[in-house]
Amino acid sequence: MKYVNVILFFAIIFAGLISYFIGPVQKISYEEKRKLAAFPEFEMDKYLKGHFTDSIDEYMDDHFIFRKFWIDAASKIRWARGIHPKNQEKVFRSRGNLAKNPDAGLPQSSDTVPAYLDIEAEYSGDMLIIDGSVFPMGGGSPAMGKAFARMVNDYAEKFKGKVRIFSAVAPLSSAFIPVEKYRYLNGQNKRTLQAIGDNLNGAYFCDVFKYLNDHSSEKLFFSTDHHWTANGAFHAYQAFCSAAGFKAVQREEMDKKTKYGFLGTLYERTRDQSVRNNADTFVYYIPKTSSTAVRYDAYGYKPIKSNTFCHGSRGGMSYSTFLCGDNPLMKITTNNKNGKKVVVIKNSMGNAFSVYLISHYEEVWVMDFRYAKQNLAELIEVNEIDDVVFAIGMYGAMSSGTIGMMRRLLTQTGSAPPPAPVPSEPDTSAVVPANVEIKDTLE
Amino acid sequence: MVFSSLTFIYAFLPLAILAHYLTKNILFRNITLILFSLVFYAWGEPLWLFLLLITAIFDFGVGLLIERMLLKSKAKAKAVLIFGVVVNLSLLIGYKYGGFLWDNINMLLQNFGWEMPFPRPTNSLPIGISFYSFQVIAYLVDVYRRDTPAQKNPINFLVCISMFPHLVAGPIIRYSKIHDELDNRKVNWSDLSYGINRFCFGLFKKVIIANTAGELVQKYLEDGFHDLSSYEGWFGIAMFSIQIYFDFSGYSDMAIGLARMFGFHFDENFRHPYAAISVGDFYRRWHISLGRFFRDYVYIPLGGNRKFQLRNIVIVWLLTGIWHGASWNFLLWGAYFGCFMVIEKLLDRFLQKTPRILRHTYTLILIVFSRGIFYFTDWNQLKSFTINLFTSNNAIGAGFYTDLYEHVFWFVAVVLLCIPWEEIYTEGSKLNRGTSKLYGALSPAFNLAFIALSTAMLVDSTYNPFIYFRF
Repeated sequence: MKYVNVILFFAIIFAGLISYFIGPVQKISYEEKRKLAAFPEFEMDKYLKGHFTDSIDEYMDDHFIFRKFWIDAASKIRWARGIHPKNQEKVFRSRGNLAKNPDAGLPQSSDTVPAYLDIEAEYSGDMLIIDGSVFPMGGGSPAMGKAFARMVNDYAEKFKGKVRIFSAVAPLSSAFIPVEKYRYLNGQNKRTLQAIGDNLNGAYFCDVFKYLNDHSSEKLFFSTDHHWTANGAFHAYQAFCSAAGFKAVQREEMDKKTKYGFLGTLYERTRDQSVRNNADTFVYYIPKTSSTAVRYDAYGYKPIKSNTFCHGSRGGMSYSTFLCGDNPLMKITTNNKNGKKVVVIKNSMGNAFSVYLISHYEEVWVMDFRYAKQNLAELIEVNEIDDVVFAIGMYGAMSSGTIGMMRRLLTQTGSAPPPAPVPSEPDTSAVVPANVEIKDTLE
Repeated sequence: MVFSSLTFIYAFLPLAILAHYLTKNILFRNITLILFSLVFYAWGEPLWLFLLLITAIFDFGVGLLIERMLLKSKAKAKAVLIFGVVVNLSLLIGYKYGGFLWDNINMLLQNFGWEMPFPRPTNSLPIGISFYSFQVIAYLVDVYRRDTPAQKNPINFLVCISMFPHLVAGPIIRYSKIHDELDNRKVNWSDLSYGINRFCFGLFKKVIIANTAGELVQKYLEDGFHDLSSYEGWFGIAMFSIQIYFDFSGYSDMAIGLARMFGFHFDENFRHPYAAISVGDFYRRWHISLGRFFRDYVYIPLGGNRKFQLRNIVIVWLLTGIWHGASWNFLLWGAYFGCFMVIEKLLDRFLQKTPRILRHTYTLILIVFSRGIFYFTDWNQLKSFTINLFTSNNAIGAGFYTDLYEHVFWFVAVVLLCIPWEEIYTEGSKLNRGTSKLYGALSPAFNLAFIALSTAMLVDSTYNPFIYFRF
């Protein structure tokens, strides 16, 4: 048996070694949403500081053969360490790897999959897992709500009498944890968002929290992803319509589509088997209004064909169904010939919200404040925008850094576009990586 | 580089094995072993390589000089020995304790309105200096005592000092134990198989047991213990006890296994320390190579149990404590065990009559409590943690029970691995023979499982997801 033992062991380690040379080359990990480490170039200075060898370790780690298989296996090994009674609460503590540098990873081109900037580092905090659902813990603070309101007020003051400014900030899913002991988070979220409403002056307050809270028994947020569902976004849209004086289009009047097996960002963070076993069903609603869309790079106004919905976004990418993911700037043109135009200032939470607005406007501009470098004041003026809506996930709005970014939209360099021609054929290549597996059915 | 990394297992080790077994020429094998050991050592911080090489050359020369002086005058040989030991200890103290000494002396001076006349040394610590310093000191003393001849071949000496299996985390190898194998070693299939078994098992202990315990330690000790109940506090230090034992003993297993693959026989470094029935027994089971070093080169020269035994025990434990790190808490940890060793000596007759289960329980409680002292290098944290441990009125957190449930099979594995089965079923007994035979037959399957589980967890430890794309 000793011969078998020795041969088997050496076969394993030598196979591991050889696989680095002949195994498939992967540059991007879609599960981790990052580039895999490249083999470093030798530099004496880096070598002497140990950085060169550290980089080799990173390369070896990132390119180990069948990496995804091993990561999935590890998740099952963790699960096998014990038993898992239902309704057990567990706190997932971050391994602390979420990027916190808001200047990192700015997109230079949107020719490929859109680049994203992780300023929502709130998710590096604790998360609660209950019965397969993940809740990022938190609820902001009234002080930050007040600071956000001041920024919105400055917009209202600048465009007084010309443009209506709306605030539609979303709470965190932790506001609706279905366990009594965490009810305080409901109150905390409410106080933070109410602080915005109480301090707005000249701007319109969309009471998103109230509308969501009234429907708290519904599926408002995904269990496996940090975004809200199309349903949650719909209630926010209703709150907006109420503030804006529109009659909300009911979901029954829209086309409903469903995708199955959505395992989102919070699953990828926790890799918890109970979450894996609780994959979300991704339901979304398409307004009857027909539309075409173009997107722009962070700088300039060269239009690139896009779509209001990317129906092909699947698996972990399902949330990119809305607006085909995050883009610095997007323009949706509808067949509503009412001359009304809106700019939505948003982070990813605003994607699911923005699509409902096509029922009411001729043009819906969607600006991601994290990436866009165009000057918003010029864009509003040249295009004769009527309304500006801040449709943002709470934490995206609740930091001095992000509030500063939203302020800078009015002063940053960039020129306003001429009226953009509408492309005839939408681009459906979008953001879906070819290797994502999904069982997708449309109702 | 560490053994429990993908780079080591799937690149360094196969290449080192391949190079070593290209020929049977012992000189070639020694040179390749040195080269790979130097690469291994230089992996993290290449600059310390020079210190290691200079130390090795220096000690090689001192060893030869001592031997030569012994032919002429023992006093001169002793002087050379003292010089060699002082140089090695100075390097160890300078690098490891320089900052600590500077801080404390400066604090004393400040009471008199003075300041240290030179800036504080950096905290940069050459990897493995605590281990290889003791190894060369032991070598020089052994040469002086004529327990072993000085090594005449610098390549052999460098193999002994720099050999990667023991270089960065021990065990502390006695030169006399391996000097025959430096020139003349043979590796057969049994050696390879044994080495592989030990390596895979050590890897499993490190990656599956110790790292899991580490996650719980992080949760219960690192992330704000102030909110913990007493139960959770005890749970936290119990997990740290598991982590530190399986981490260190796993590493020693891997070192012993790797050495065997290259033809060297290392002594055991751990022998089920958590089965100890007294602090003295624990001392004989925990980090055995360090204990032997202090016994042979400090305790016995001080008089051992012949004169001032209690003083000698306290000195040895204080040194053992401070060896673990440059901080007062390690000294306290050593003093803590030293005191209990003294108490055990004084109450020896009473303890001998105490039922074994009570002695084992008392020892375990002392050991687990001592881990708190070992863990918290910050004095104030240690104080408030200790107070919390006995007086916390906090309720048990909901997540605590989840952690218990979710690790229940893991706990069972930990307990099983802490039991000294080979002591219970003595060597040669029917059961022992039967289980050994069974393990021998199943070892390929066990090793496959150990390496697969460890690989999965090692790959997973590099899993680094982002909420949004970062290209």
